[in-house]
Amino acid sequence: MTYQATLLIELKPGILDPQGRAVEGVLKGLGHPVESVRVGRVLEVVLRAESEEEARALASRIGAALTNPVMEVFTLEGLKALEGAEGGR
Amino acid sequence: MRFAVVQFPGSNCDRDALFAFQVAGLKAELVPHTETDLSRFDGVFLPGGFTYGDYLRPGALAKFAPVMGEVERLARRGHPVIGVCNGFQILTEAGLLPGALLANLNLHFTCKEVHVRVERADLPFTRAYRQGQVLRLPIAHAEGRYYADPETLERLEGEGRVVFRYSGPKGEVSEAYNPNGSLNGIAGIVNERGNVLGMMPHPERAVHEVLGGTDGLGLFLSLAMEVV
Repeated sequence: MTYQATLLIELKPGILDPQGRAVEGVLKGLGHPVESVRVGRVLEVVLRAESEEEARALASRIGAALTNPVMEVFTLEGLKALEGAEGGR
Repeated sequence: MRFAVVQFPGSNCDRDALFAFQVAGLKAELVPHTETDLSRFDGVFLPGGFTYGDYLRPGALAKFAPVMGEVERLARRGHPVIGVCNGFQILTEAGLLPGALLANLNLHFTCKEVHVRVERADLPFTRAYRQGQVLRLPIAHAEGRYYADPETLERLEGEGRVVFRYSGPKGEVSEAYNPNGSLNGIAGIVNERGNVLGMMPHPERAVHEVLGGTDGLGLFLSLAMEVV
């Protein structure tokens, strides 16, 4: 089966995020009632696995490998089975 | 002493490093990121650049390169390992040095000359300097803000593992002279054993008058002193 995993990598809470600050400043400048903004990164990984459970475990291993634990945390935001053979190569 | 200068896809300070080793009278050669045997070398230099386009994070993908197993092996055996700029980012990503390098506080790619104070002159990389000496070295990075959690930072400072610190021309350390927001103005650190150095400023770009300065040459001359 082919699955699409959505991984979210973010700076740990408490680590100053100057990108988020810059975006926050612009939004506030536009008059939006924004409290704060943090910028993260989304990875959509299409992978093959025998079951949803295996796909979830694989996605977590990938997330851990790609995250710098000193400054970041990752979350598996979503996992969905893709129709048929699409996504395979 | 023979040094390997690793070329990753996107390295761009590799030839500057070769030149610096040459000026200091040391043997060095380029090796590709696919190399899996560095046994003929006594030390490794990870040059600056934009490995793998700095995609994901600077240095994040380079840590998976085949050569890194050998870099770790040399580091474990006590050989000198130096990472400059992107090389420093690779060393932290690979876990050979603690902490991480975050986006500069001002969000700018900052390319200029800065002053750094030599905090330790008893390392294989710094013997040709004297403690407290102020060097003028170029920096060129967008992600150079050294970060570590409070416990790690305390340990680094307590164990005297900060080798270079951003300063004013007289060695005064203050936020006014901190070009990227690094914690405690940290510009370079070593591992516990003192044989793995990571630094953001580029010593290899300051080894000849024609480059605008020679303050970086001491690092390479220090390594040359190790030979005997």
